Amino acid sequence: MAAEGASAGGPAPDERHAIGISFGNSNSSIAVTMADDKVEVIANEDGDRQIPSILSYVDGEEYNGQQARQQLIRNSKNTVACFRDFLGQDFKSIDPTHCHASAHPQAHNDTVAFTIKDKAGDEESTVTISEIATRQFRRLKQSASHFTGKDVNSAVITIPTNFSEKQNEALTKAAKDAGIETLQLIREPVAALLAYDARPETKVSDKNVVVADLGGTRSDVAVIASRGGMYTILATAHDYEFAGVHLDKVLQDHFAKEFIKWNSIDPRENARSLAKLKLESEATKKALSIGTNANFSVESLAEGIDFTSTINRLRYETIARKVLDGFNRLVEGVVKKAGLDVLDIDEVILSGGTSHTPKIASNFGSIFPETTKIFAPSTSATAINPSELQVRGAALQASLIQEYESEDIEQSTHPAVTTVKHLTNAIGVLAISDDSHKGIFTPIVSAETAVPARRSIHIPVPKEGGDVLIKIVEGGSHIKVTKPESAPTTNGKKESDDSEDSDEDSDEEPEEQREKVWKVGNVLAEAAVKGTKKGGQVEVMINVAVDLAVTVTAREVGEKGGVRGNLSAP
Amino acid sequence: TTHAQAGLPLPVLPEGWAGEKDFKAVAHLSPATQRTIEPVGPHFLAHARRARHKRTFSEDDR
Ligand SMILES: Nc1ncnc2c1ncn2[C@@H]1O[C@H](COP(=O)(O)OP(=O)(O)OP(=O)(O)O)[C@@H](O)[C@H]1O
Ligand SMILES: [Mg+2]
Repeated sequence: MAAEGASAGGPAPDERHAIGISFGNSNSSIAVTMADDKVEVIANEDGDRQIPSILSYVDGEEYNGQQARQQLIRNSKNTVACFRDFLGQDFKSIDPTHCHASAHPQAHNDTVAFTIKDKAGDEESTVTISEIATRQFRRLKQSASHFTGKDVNSAVITIPTNFSEKQNEALTKAAKDAGIETLQLIREPVAALLAYDARPETKVSDKNVVVADLGGTRSDVAVIASRGGMYTILATAHDYEFAGVHLDKVLQDHFAKEFIKWNSIDPRENARSLAKLKLESEATKKALSIGTNANFSVESLAEGIDFTSTINRLRYETIARKVLDGFNRLVEGVVKKAGLDVLDIDEVILSGGTSHTPKIASNFGSIFPETTKIFAPSTSATAINPSELQVRGAALQASLIQEYESEDIEQSTHPAVTTVKHLTNAIGVLAISDDSHKGIFTPIVSAETAVPARRSIHIPVPKEGGDVLIKIVEGGSHIKVTKPESAPTTNGKKESDDSEDSDEDSDEEPEEQREKVWKVGNVLAEAAVKGTKKGGQVEVMINVAVDLAVTVTAREVGEKGGVRGNLSAP
Repeated sequence: TTHAQAGLPLPVLPEGWAGEKDFKAVAHLSPATQRTIEPVGPHFLAHARRARHKRTFSEDDR
């Protein structure tokens, strides 16, 4: 179920020219890993790295990307848009909402098709979703081959976490028909995380990551346990009510009302006017991600009347509040679904085009504690372009596996290799603090670590050195909530000095403090390291085998010997 | 391999503590959960290599 293996009959490893492909309902992108291991996101013939997943036909000529998108105004009937999610589905299961202003999907045997004039002359053809996707893949292959100077014939392609096996098969077939062997299908949030983890400055660590993929027509969030560079998805959520198009809609309605005020004409009632309104609203929205003011300007918006206006970011954020709050709830919900608390999350990766929106990143910043890193363009100068994360991850994976035989890839992605035991509790060693003789849990291996696993820690000995006790225990964390006793007037909690804000705040209840604390669980083993030196350190290593047998080793750092003991498999 | 660094010190060995070769096994690990790791990234590939050749970490280190 994890990922589709390679299809047999593709090019041999030494004949492969592999790329990464991300194929969304709104945009596609292609990328290749260069000789220096750097990923290059490839621009198509129009210079676009975000290539609208749209095909349009005029007098038998095919247009793709931005050029096809412009056809939504004059030639919407022969323009196919927003179709990725229809792959591998029957007509009854699809949501055609986003095809109102383009070619309409229809039932065709057990699949979905479009009736369009894709040839010169007036004859209409029925083109299946599979064929449409193949044509989109052909365009991507062409642009990638043009860039690399080689015949690109294989790819790692990203898929949503809720794609069914049937959808995976349909996607693989559509790519194959375009001459692209699918090396592997990888899940979108995992691709995004890989893109960040592949940066040379990223250290391999154990962390819990939220990937919020906010796209054009859907928002998908995943909580991923990242343990020593291996990824396990703990929970996912999908939402089709709060996404990029809903932010566009807010601006459409805003400017439509303004236009009505001046002209008493509703531009939403005429298909062509509505198409213009939509395209410009999206452009205004994107401009608001960079500037604090943006223009809205359409020639002949309705009945020949030109329309120009402006909006500032604050106003936009106010009228878009409902959609923005929707993203917050989605993220909070999936953290809960994973059985975690916001305090357990180390990183939040904002992925997908809508993640450029500054307010979304700042909202997430206030949901999570200050220690959580938020990776978004507006919160981190070193953030990777959220629109490129998935394709970058796919290109990296392609370069990792392109030299493998197809069977090896298939074997490695087989459930026998990917389905493994994960620890329920953390494993750690007890330390003492100055003011108490109670043991303090110091984690060595995190919960949700896949086995086999090996981790070690360096821990100081008491000031005087001597014989020390190594007590290996399981640990669980919980959230401790403390309510402040009284309400002091100077509440240092609030960061913003905004005077309007603090006026409201002074009436509020003092905020409760929430902290993550460890609870010591089962004792697993005890060991003694004797005769340690003043100021010394002990290295404790835990090795958990596939069958959950544990090996503990402890020795003074820089010294030979030490102790070693085993706990047999349960 | 990399290691984490702890801040607080270890306790002193209690008087009279005894264990065979300085080690005392007390309990097994709690039951684990079956989950699926994503077959993606360099660390997964290393894992798959070990799994397919039935090698341990230290054999892999050599
Ligand atoms: N700079 C920006 N600021 C705000 N929104 C942006 C920006 N750039 C792109 N977007 C929005 O991102 C959305 C497209 O995101 P993305 O390319 O990730 O979609 P996708 O995954 O192909 O789409 P879908 O969710 O429909 O499958 C569009 O709504 C677009 O307007
Ligand atoms: Mg997407």
